[in-house]
Amino acid sequence: MPDRDRSIENALRRVLSDDVRAQPQSTCPDAETIAAWHEGTLRRDQAVAIENHVADCAHCRALMAAFVQAAPATPAVESIWRQWHLGWAVPLATAATAAALWIAIPRSTPPPEVEVREEKTASVAQPPSSASPATPTAPAAAAEPPAIQNAAALAKTSALLRDEARRRANESQVAREQVANQQAADAAPAGAALSARLEADRQERADNAAAPRPFTVAARLAASPSLEIVAPGGSGRWRIIGGQQVEWSTSAAAEWGPAALESADALTAGAAPSPTVCWIVGRRGAIYVTTDGRRFMRVPFPEMADLVKVTATDDRTATVSSADGRSWNTSDQGKSWSMSR
Amino acid sequence: MPPWRLPDGLVARLHDKAHAARWEVSAFSFASALERSAAKAFAAQPDPRDLERFLASLHLEDLALACACAAGHEGAWEHFVREHRPLLYRAVDAIDPTGGSRDLADSLYGELFGLVETSGARRSLFEYFHGRSSLGTWLRAVLAQRHVDRARRSRRFEPLPAEDAPSLAQTSGTHQPHALRYVQLMRRAVTAAVARLAPKDRLRLCYYYAEDLTLAQVGHALKEHEATVSRNLARARREIRRDVERQLRDEEHMTASQIDECFAAVVDDVGALDVKDLLGASRKDSPDERSKERAEGASA
Repeated sequence: MPDRDRSIENALRRVLSDDVRAQPQSTCPDAETIAAWHEGTLRRDQAVAIENHVADCAHCRALMAAFVQAAPATPAVESIWRQWHLGWAVPLATAATAAALWIAIPRSTPPPEVEVREEKTASVAQPPSSASPATPTAPAAAAEPPAIQNAAALAKTSALLRDEARRRANESQVAREQVANQQAADAAPAGAALSARLEADRQERADNAAAPRPFTVAARLAASPSLEIVAPGGSGRWRIIGGQQVEWSTSAAAEWGPAALESADALTAGAAPSPTVCWIVGRRGAIYVTTDGRRFMRVPFPEMADLVKVTATDDRTATVSSADGRSWNTSDQGKSWSMSR
Repeated sequence: MPPWRLPDGLVARLHDKAHAARWEVSAFSFASALERSAAKAFAAQPDPRDLERFLASLHLEDLALACACAAGHEGAWEHFVREHRPLLYRAVDAIDPTGGSRDLADSLYGELFGLVETSGARRSLFEYFHGRSSLGTWLRAVLAQRHVDRARRSRRFEPLPAEDAPSLAQTSGTHQPHALRYVQLMRRAVTAAVARLAPKDRLRLCYYYAEDLTLAQVGHALKEHEATVSRNLARARREIRRDVERQLRDEEHMTASQIDECFAAVVDDVGALDVKDLLGASRKDSPDERSKERAEGASA
C-alpha cells in the first residue's frame, strides 16, 4: 500500500521538524567534542552518550547538519563491493576495465612516461617482479594484483584524456591564431590585434572549460576502491577510497580501520616505505604523511600543483611529481622542497 | 586543569613528536595544553597507561600549532592561515552558497587571534582546541556552531505565519469530519513510533527528514555508505508504519477503514511547516491535554 508509505513520509517530515528556535541546552556538547565524535576518537561510552544526545536535540542536529554541509565532497565510507560481499569481483572488474581501455586506446597514443611511473608509485613496496610493464597488455593486466591494475587503468585514462585535451587545445590555438592573423591583416592593426587577443583568450577559457579534465575522470575512477599502498613485508597497507577516505590495515588487508586523514582534495597516489610510514599525495598540492600508520598530518608544500606520484624512503625523505611532469624533493618532511626535472 | 601532573619524560616525548619546537612552543606550555586535553577527557585521574595512550592518540602537531597560534607566534600564524583559510572559506561557502556567511569565517579569525575579551582577559579560541580531532575538523565544527547560533538569532525575529495560513486539516480536506483528529492521532502515533527506535535510527531520520540532508551527507555524518543509509531509512519507515498501524488498531481500537482514513489524512504534501499545528501539538504533549484530546476523540 504505497499511499501509506507516503503518509508515513509526510508525517515524519512534520513530526521531526522540531522548532527551529530550539535553544542549546547545558548538556549540549561543545564544538571540540562534536569534532572528536565525528572523527571517532571519543571513548565508546562517550560516543554513545553524544549520539543519544544529538538524536534528541534539535540544536545539535542543526549544528551537525551545518557541519556535514561544510564538509568537503562526501566520500563513500562503506565500499559497495564489501557491502555486497563482492570483494572478489574488484580485480575482475578492474581487469575488464583495463582491457576495455586498452581496446579503446589507439596504439598511436601511448601513455607518457610520467604516467607509467605513476602506476609503480602505487605499488612502491611490491616486489620488482610484480611491477607492471610500460605498455601493459590486457592479459598481463589481468594477471597483476588489483592495486597495479587500478593504477594502470587510472594512469592510462588520465594520459588519454590529457592527450586529447592537449590536442584540442593545440587545434583551437591554431584556429585562433589564424583568426587573429586574418583580423590583424584586415582591420586597423592595434585595435584588431587587441580584439583578436581578447577573443583568443576568451576562446581558450571556453575550451579549457569544455575540454575533458583528466582529474575529473581520474577522481571518478578513484571513487572505486582502487588504490592500495603496500608497505614492505605486506602487513602494513593503506587504501584510498573514493579519492578522499583512507583506511589502514596492519593485518595484510584482513581487517581495515579508518585512518585519520581528512582531505578537501582528491588523493591520487601513495607510497609506504615502512609498515607505519605512508605518504599520500593529491590534487592542489595535497601531501600527507603518517608515522604511526593511522594519523596523517599535512605536509607543507609551496605549489598548488596536482600531484600524481610520490616515492619515499622514510618519513622525512620523499619525491613528489605533478601531472605536468614536475618533481620536488624533500629530506626534512616538507620543511623545505627543492625542484628537480 | 587536572589536579595531577604529567610526567616530564612523557611531556618531552610528546613535545618532540609534535615537532612543537618548530613553533617555539615550550615544553611547559605544551604540557599545559596536554593537561587541559586530559582534563577534558577524564573526570578522575586515569590509569597512567590509559593517559599515555590517550595523549599519544591526540593530533599532537595540530595541538602544537594551536598552542603557538594562541601565543601569537608569527610563523605558526602564517602556516595556519596558509593551510586552513582556504578550507575555512570553502566550508563557509558550502554552508551558505550565497557567500553571505564569509564574515563568519572572518570573525572566527578574530576570535582565534584572541581579539575577543572574556572577563577582561584576552583569550584565544585556540585554547579550546584539545587535539582530540584534527584542527580542520574542529574549525568546521566551530564554524557550524556559529552558523547555527546566527540562524537561531535571526529566526527569533522572523514574523510567524499569517493567521489565515491554511492549516493541515484544511489542506488535507475539510470535507472529512474527522480529519483534524486523524491528523493528530497520526502525529502522535508517529512520534511514539520514532521514540521507540534506536538513537542512531532516530538520528538518521532526523538528518534526512528534518535537516534535509542528502543521503550522501547523512552517510558522511554517520560514517555509512549512502546505499546503507537508504536501506536503513526504508527499514525504519517500515518499522514506524507497522508500529503506527498497531497503535491505531490496538490502542485506539480503530477499524481497518478508520486506519485507512488516518493515513489518508496525512497523505497529501501540505507544503510549508504549519507552525500553528505544531504549537498545538506540542501543547498536547502534556498528559492533561492528551487525556482531554482522547476524551474529545472518543466522543466524536
